[in-house]
Amino acid sequence: MTRPTDRLFYALLAATAASFVYLICYVFLVTPVAQLQAGGLAQKIFYFHVPSAYAMYLCGGVCCVASGLYLYSPSDARDAVARAGAECAVLFGSMMLTSGPLWAKKAWGVYWTWDPQLTTLLLSVLVYVSIVVLRTFAGNGEAERKFASALGVLGTVNLPVIHYSVLKWGGNHPIVVTRSGGGGLHHAAMTHALLTGFLAMTLLAGLLLWSRARLALSVSRVEHLEEQAIATGLIDY
Amino acid sequence: MQSQTNPGTTADPSSRSTEFVPVQGGGETTSAANLLITAYVVMWALLLGFVFVSWRRQGRVETRISELEKALTASGSKASARD
Repeated sequence: MTRPTDRLFYALLAATAASFVYLICYVFLVTPVAQLQAGGLAQKIFYFHVPSAYAMYLCGGVCCVASGLYLYSPSDARDAVARAGAECAVLFGSMMLTSGPLWAKKAWGVYWTWDPQLTTLLLSVLVYVSIVVLRTFAGNGEAERKFASALGVLGTVNLPVIHYSVLKWGGNHPIVVTRSGGGGLHHAAMTHALLTGFLAMTLLAGLLLWSRARLALSVSRVEHLEEQAIATGLIDY
Repeated sequence: MQSQTNPGTTADPSSRSTEFVPVQGGGETTSAANLLITAYVVMWALLLGFVFVSWRRQGRVETRISELEKALTASGSKASARD
């Protein structure tokens, strides 16, 4: 990386760390405990759980756009961003799918229920897992890249379905992130904590996408160098 | 407001809950503090694990790049010396 890029990366890292320190302190020291129906103390999971879901959407969106651009005009950079998007979507999806059931145990009394939103979310995470598995074990050839890109575009189509599934089919998820609802946001400090969570997760998603895309580009560079080394007889195929 | 475990009986979106309502048959026996701590520990473990794996892999890949570049440069120098 060049020096200005280095500085920008470390500035983003510092901003992410500061926003998380602030968020954790605010959630545990300022935000009031929610009503028992929302899980009481366990409702504080909400301030990380919902932003994790949002970060998964964000990374899925990045994966979709980069995959679409790759299918239109292939390049290492576009492939690297698409791959990074899928990997980060899996991470944020895992954070959401592990924190959600723990909160649900208190709020709903069960860890899991086949609620339309939960089912479509699980399906979406599995699509991104399949992209990561494909890229990890099926090699880095042109056909694999294109197939993963197609999955990246098609998988992201499911993201709006997650949102509309609950509007169309109902389910256990309450309306909490709107003014008409109020299950989790009765206090101004709760709204502030949630917005800070969104900011912190946006910064974290940006940071992780950057570092994973850089890693994917480095892997592509290794492959190009290895091809050159094989061609010159430095290493055996 | 939905409170059933069967998704087939929760199909009316207009009656979507504005609160958190226990699912029928669910038992509330776990402490909220334990659930909260477990959730935070798991989330941070996932994140730190991901960062650690990325960091180690980046290190290995950069080492490999520098090895290959050195080998290719040395090979190029030898070839030009022979010519």
